Amino acid sequence: MSESTTPGTGRSGVIHDLGYRRYDGPREGTGAIARTLFLTGLRHAYGLERSGKSKVMPFLLLGMSLLPAAIIVGVVVLTGLRSLPVTYAGYTSQTQLLVSLFAAAQAPVLFSRDLRHRSIVLYAARPLSSAAFGFVRWLSMSVALLAFMVIPTLLMFVGALLAGLDKSDQLSDLYKAVVLQVFLAALVAGITGLVSSVSLRRGFAVVGSVMVLIVLTGVVTAVQNIAQSQGSDSVSVGAGLFSPWSLYSGLGNAWDAGTRVPVSVDGAWVPAYVLVLLLVAAGCVLGLVARFRKVGSR
Amino acid sequence: MMNATIAKLAAQALLGRRRFILLLAFPVLLIGLVALVAALTDGDAAFQILPGLGYPLVLPLVAILAASSVLGPEVDDGSIVYLLSKPVSRHGIATSKWVVALGATLVAGALPILVAALVTGDTTRAFALFVGAAVAGTTYSALFLAVSAVTRHAVIASLMFVLIWEGLLGNLFSGVAWLSVGQWGLRIGHEISSELPDPANLPWAIAASVVVTVAGVFFAGDRLRSFTLRGED
Amino acid sequence: MSTLVLESASRWFGNVVAVNDVTLTIGPGVTGLLGPNGAGKTTLMAMMSGFLAPSSGTVTLDGQPVWRNTEIYRQVGLVPERELSFGYLTGRQFVRANADLHRLPDAAGATERILEVVDMVEPAQRRLDTYSKGMRQRVKIAAALVHGPSVLLLDEPFNGVDPRQRMHLMDLLRRLGDEGRTVLFSSHILEEVERLARHIEVVVSGRHAASGDFGAIRRLMTDRPVQYALQSSDNRTLASLLMSQDSVRAVSLNGDHLDVQVDDLGSFAVELPGLARQHDVTLFELSPSDESLESVFAYLVAR
Repeated sequence: MSESTTPGTGRSGVIHDLGYRRYDGPREGTGAIARTLFLTGLRHAYGLERSGKSKVMPFLLLGMSLLPAAIIVGVVVLTGLRSLPVTYAGYTSQTQLLVSLFAAAQAPVLFSRDLRHRSIVLYAARPLSSAAFGFVRWLSMSVALLAFMVIPTLLMFVGALLAGLDKSDQLSDLYKAVVLQVFLAALVAGITGLVSSVSLRRGFAVVGSVMVLIVLTGVVTAVQNIAQSQGSDSVSVGAGLFSPWSLYSGLGNAWDAGTRVPVSVDGAWVPAYVLVLLLVAAGCVLGLVARFRKVGSR
Repeated sequence: MMNATIAKLAAQALLGRRRFILLLAFPVLLIGLVALVAALTDGDAAFQILPGLGYPLVLPLVAILAASSVLGPEVDDGSIVYLLSKPVSRHGIATSKWVVALGATLVAGALPILVAALVTGDTTRAFALFVGAAVAGTTYSALFLAVSAVTRHAVIASLMFVLIWEGLLGNLFSGVAWLSVGQWGLRIGHEISSELPDPANLPWAIAASVVVTVAGVFFAGDRLRSFTLRGED
Repeated sequence: MSTLVLESASRWFGNVVAVNDVTLTIGPGVTGLLGPNGAGKTTLMAMMSGFLAPSSGTVTLDGQPVWRNTEIYRQVGLVPERELSFGYLTGRQFVRANADLHRLPDAAGATERILEVVDMVEPAQRRLDTYSKGMRQRVKIAAALVHGPSVLLLDEPFNGVDPRQRMHLMDLLRRLGDEGRTVLFSSHILEEVERLARHIEVVVSGRHAASGDFGAIRRLMTDRPVQYALQSSDNRTLASLLMSQDSVRAVSLNGDHLDVQVDDLGSFAVELPGLARQHDVTLFELSPSDESLESVFAYLVAR
């Protein structure tokens, strides 16, 4: 280990030239780093490039959300129905349990691990700031979630076209569904990301996300239904502002995309729904960025 | 079978810091919501929240949180070897941890259901639901303890059992009730108040609850007996 | 006095053999388990502490198998490499919990005594998550020692511990070994093992590569030239004389001494005194210059 120390002649040392050379070629900029980080995050959300075990959960959930879509396509093709029994946006709403579980299960992969194992400091030592790191992580999660919702939607769409349903009807339905899914993905990724970056134990992060996505939605739905049956429609619609899935269903209803709500959303409620959704999503992203900046600077 | 030191450590792990707040959030949310709805509406709307939300969702979530936090993190990061490298019965460790999880599930899951149900009136119905919740909470906590001893993804696996198997599929196929912890509890509660549903037959519900509870705790202990220390992965 | 015995113990995970047919006996005193990263040290440790079943062969403590035998922990103290996740406990509470789990008659007294031994009395009322790495390591050792085990197993105990605390820990382990306890620690750092244990067990890619006093191991490796440093009244004369011997491969003058590379240890030992006497050269000092664990290790790993 120690290179040439000669006893008797005092301490001496030498650093050998092993032929390492400085790299002074072109370097990729922050954009390329962010792009790589984004793609890696997206793959990790589905367990790709990770151990075999970590692929089980995302693909099991994806498979479960594809199964009903495949059955619907089969039924439409075999019985010659003239329309799909459920709209694309409605399908996402009805499989919300699976989407929520996917988000809750996979957000800790993207948001907790680097903080828990302190590998965030390795990223922070690169030109990309830790704030940008948080943002890119959110982007990966959003796109992963979007893909989770879009894939069954596309399966149904292709099935509908093969069954000879009207193309322009299906296209406009698909368009509405995808736009709604983009908004929802951004919101849910923000929420689960924030929860997971604060609660670093996987179990608690998952339960925390489930509380917001599933329990809160259950509470809101209960309140909406009760208010509707009591005849206070504005309370019912107003309650819908308080959970991600009721926002999604409300907007889908306002846009005639075929999602079910107890009381239809119209008038000034529509911009309110959009505003709340955007504000909460933006708030979560800001919170996420602040969280990563704080942790990365330590 | 019980080991006081293990139980004390488990209780400290459960009550320590933020997880306690998360555990406390459930009963507060549930009782608050039911009280609010009961105050603002008449009729049975407030009670319907309990079989619709409190019983099938909050109770198992509390059980998942409790069972996985007494065992999950220690198995997850391997620090359970500090407890296992002692001349202590493995089944004793599992039982002690289960008792703590059970206590938390009853206090933060079943008791709030009783309180909320009492708020809506009809004491018999409230006690019937409480008995059901206590039975189901007991079974849930043992089942989820066993799941925590097997996989690092215990929380998600348990959630899938509750939400997809008992919830989604349970609503579609009535036969699922025969293999649903929540439905067994309801069936036992049905004996006290016929306002609760009657999903499976009583001897089955009792036997299945007992078997799953005992087997769950035993299995968790057995997994600890064969606990294997692996390098970092 | 306890003895750990591995009898042709092997352990494989699927297709990967982590430990391959190891037979060794670990008795009282300090023993170093040495091997590069990934050599199977942790797997061996896990098997010896009853946290892994050997795929074949046996692991016994005083004749009792250790796998699934909770009774062995009355005699065994284990210091795992794993970090403590009991951050919400104070050092004293943690050690006390360990004492309680052993159902010691005087758990409180035992706790205080062992905190004294590892020199952790003063920080013991602080929570574990405020400790430095070295303090955590000492608390872990205290927890493993609280019931006075006759066997102490330590997995990489010096990892991440600063040099001063490392010295402290080494003194402690040496003392425990002198008391007649069986102390086994693993390490991939030669310098640590060399300073603490004369007796070593070397594992290289799952195989038991060497065992015994490292000086003795070194002498057994006769197919590799041995390096000696030699001081005499006339180094130059001696150098030319030595060069004419078949047993010597190379000689170099190095300041006030000679570096001699010897191929055939046996004949060199016989010839050297004779040569010196014949030519009136007085030998002052002859010492093996590369009998460090590092050279032993480099040799074993390369083979």
